[in-house]
Amino acid sequence: MIIFIGIIQAFFVPAVSPLFIGLIKKIKARFQNRQGASVFQSYRDIWKLLHKDEVISSDASWIFRLAPFIVFIVTVIVGASIPLFTTVFKQLLTSDLLIVIYTLAGGTFFLALAGLDTGSAFGGFASSREMTISALAEGSFVLSLFTVALIIGSTNLFVIADSKNILFNNFFLPTILAFFSFFIVMLAESGRFPFDNPATHLELTMIHEAMILEYSGKRLALMEWAAANKFFILAALGANLFFPWGIAQNLNLLPVAIGVIVVLVKIIIMCLVVAFIESVTAKFRFFRLPDLLITSIVLSAVAISLIQKI
Amino acid sequence: MNQNNITQDLPQLVFVETFGQTAIFEAPAEELLNITRVFRNDKNFRFVSMTATDERSSWGGFKVWYIFSVPKEQGFIALFIKLKDTENFPSLSIDFPDTWNYERKINTFFGLTPVGHPDLRPFILHENWPADIFPLRKDFSWNTKPKIANGVYNFQEVGGEGVYEIPVGPIHAGIIEPGHFRFSVAGEEIVQLEPRLGFTHKGVEKLFEVLSMDDKVKLSEKISGDSSFSHSLAFCQALEQLANTKPTERVDYLRVIFSELERLANHLGDIGAIMLDAGFNFGGSHCARLRETVMLVSERLTGNRFLRGLNIPGGITKDIDDQERVRIVRNLENLLKDFSEIVKVAENSASLLNRLKGTGILSRSIAESYGAVGIAAKATGLKRDVRVEFPYAAYDKLILETIEIEVDGDVYARFYVRIKEVRASIRLIIQALQVLPEGALVNEIKKTLPKNTVTVSLVEGWRGEIVYFVTTDSEGKIDRVAPRDPSFVNWSLLGQVSLGNVVPDFPLINKSFNLSYSGNDL
Repeated sequence: MIIFIGIIQAFFVPAVSPLFIGLIKKIKARFQNRQGASVFQSYRDIWKLLHKDEVISSDASWIFRLAPFIVFIVTVIVGASIPLFTTVFKQLLTSDLLIVIYTLAGGTFFLALAGLDTGSAFGGFASSREMTISALAEGSFVLSLFTVALIIGSTNLFVIADSKNILFNNFFLPTILAFFSFFIVMLAESGRFPFDNPATHLELTMIHEAMILEYSGKRLALMEWAAANKFFILAALGANLFFPWGIAQNLNLLPVAIGVIVVLVKIIIMCLVVAFIESVTAKFRFFRLPDLLITSIVLSAVAISLIQKI
Repeated sequence: MNQNNITQDLPQLVFVETFGQTAIFEAPAEELLNITRVFRNDKNFRFVSMTATDERSSWGGFKVWYIFSVPKEQGFIALFIKLKDTENFPSLSIDFPDTWNYERKINTFFGLTPVGHPDLRPFILHENWPADIFPLRKDFSWNTKPKIANGVYNFQEVGGEGVYEIPVGPIHAGIIEPGHFRFSVAGEEIVQLEPRLGFTHKGVEKLFEVLSMDDKVKLSEKISGDSSFSHSLAFCQALEQLANTKPTERVDYLRVIFSELERLANHLGDIGAIMLDAGFNFGGSHCARLRETVMLVSERLTGNRFLRGLNIPGGITKDIDDQERVRIVRNLENLLKDFSEIVKVAENSASLLNRLKGTGILSRSIAESYGAVGIAAKATGLKRDVRVEFPYAAYDKLILETIEIEVDGDVYARFYVRIKEVRASIRLIIQALQVLPEGALVNEIKKTLPKNTVTVSLVEGWRGEIVYFVTTDSEGKIDRVAPRDPSFVNWSLLGQVSLGNVVPDFPLINKSFNLSYSGNDL
């Protein structure tokens, strides 16, 4: 049974992540009085790209060729190492919060290198912007997760997700503050509003899209897929670490099934919020983004200091 | 207009004739700078356009024309200098930067050298065009295919540590016209921007010399596809002035209605596009929807979404019946209701206003010295609107309450001038529909035009002032048509406006101008 569940755990993130990108697009379309494409469109896009030929610049080095695989595999490994619907995988080596955060950062590093590699001006400034934002986001990413880690007394993500009463044990305020902090980081790291506009066609405003502008075909499919995985991973971390309800604590079929449904519902709610933000606000001016990330750091710092008082 | 006043103050000028609203003067080339100074600084004449004509076949030389407008008297001055046995003319670009690009264009297309011009790189024609072939000279046949040349074009370079260049276009990620932008950037800040256009050059001015009259009108509609009606109106107006034929009152009113429908559709599209480029999707999609309702009205009325095939010399081809008059008013009232709601939402969005305000500021002094027109000028507080200053069609009979202006000169100001103009356009259309007088649709114009004369026709397109300068030869045939789209003037502002802004804000600034590439490249 544990092998079976383990396989599901390993393939869960890449299997369902495109659905949520499609879902956000659908919700946004409905907000704009449009019909919108089917929620499964992201799968079709990836399928289509996987069957297309590639064009690779003759100036591209091995970094450009290898980066999509590294970026994609990083998201698959991290996706398998975080609490999704069950907390039984506490012995996993990779489920420590620092390992998760910095493995993801490694993926971002290769993404930025790939953007620089072909020497295109768009990739260059996009990598520079991505690094600016992720350097600022890193602090609050760590601090917000440390808040819950301090409350529980462990940096193992499965252990954190196992404690169902985190919100009720006088830790309500720090947990909620840390969640807001984390939510800002999630938007920054996954390239959503108000940091980046995943739907834009304006090259000069892009961040994530400009880094992968030179990719086509299969490698582009991997990059798009990896971006979907990353969004799902961040959403799942937010859902399961700050609101750890409904997650299965054993391997029985019923709790696992409930766990799957509950985590999907939680992430659908997150998608609704993200789509709502993208529909009613404008993108921020680039130099206002650090302010937002600093707000996020302050929220985490306050959250941690509140734990010490109690 | 009193030409005696002008010749009294400037005895160097030779008065030639007055044709319609246009007074024609000849100036000696060496006195040009002084005369221009007096015209602009003392008499407050406004520089409108500048071009050249090749008249070597009649008297053996070229003329360089300077068109001024006299806002108070609703007239125009066409000043020319004769170039005989020389291909040089004095450059005014150092004193008057608004002549800069006109002189470059004359240099490239006529092979006449503006002496003293600091930048004589080819304009619009690219480095694959031989530098010694001048397509607007009469001895160049329109269907000549010159050999591909291998010239060089040197972009302006900015040195210094950490300054890098971003080449953008001519192919873009969106479906827009082609143009190349060369940014010099320090970090994210734009230190220089040089637009390079000309990718949609299609030889319009040469074609105007060879096409039949009907095709000339069609050609004018294609100069800038989103301003089809205004362009053909300006051209037909020029022909009507030459033939001294006035269309009926009904035609005047219909032309106002269609002009304003065009303005309405484009302004709604732009208001939406500005919001969309700021990432404010709600406003973007709803304004796109409203624009479509206007396009549908246009299609219902004329069979063409872009109002093409309507203007003909002496009249208009499509009428509006009484049933439609009621229907359009209902359509527009509904549109205004929806529009007001969208504007209210937009005005209450702090994140949207933060993007628009203070971005891409055009100072009033730069707008004035570069001769900015249309939305860009109105957004800096300059009251420039042909409809009010030089009324044409039925604009003098309708009450266009005021020229809508804003004073800040930023993206928000240009955004808001459009919002005000949308409201004003709806009022104007409803007003015109209510009093639409009876009359014939076409007054045939005379086939023979006066000989050796010129006329100037101005129309306020939705972007700004559209100018048509038309000359006839010694047989009374149309010799030269020099259209000037407002984009030609306003493109030169873009580099100035972008300075000091961050690169990700440039698309928004560009969209707030929304200039035509095709209208510039001709």
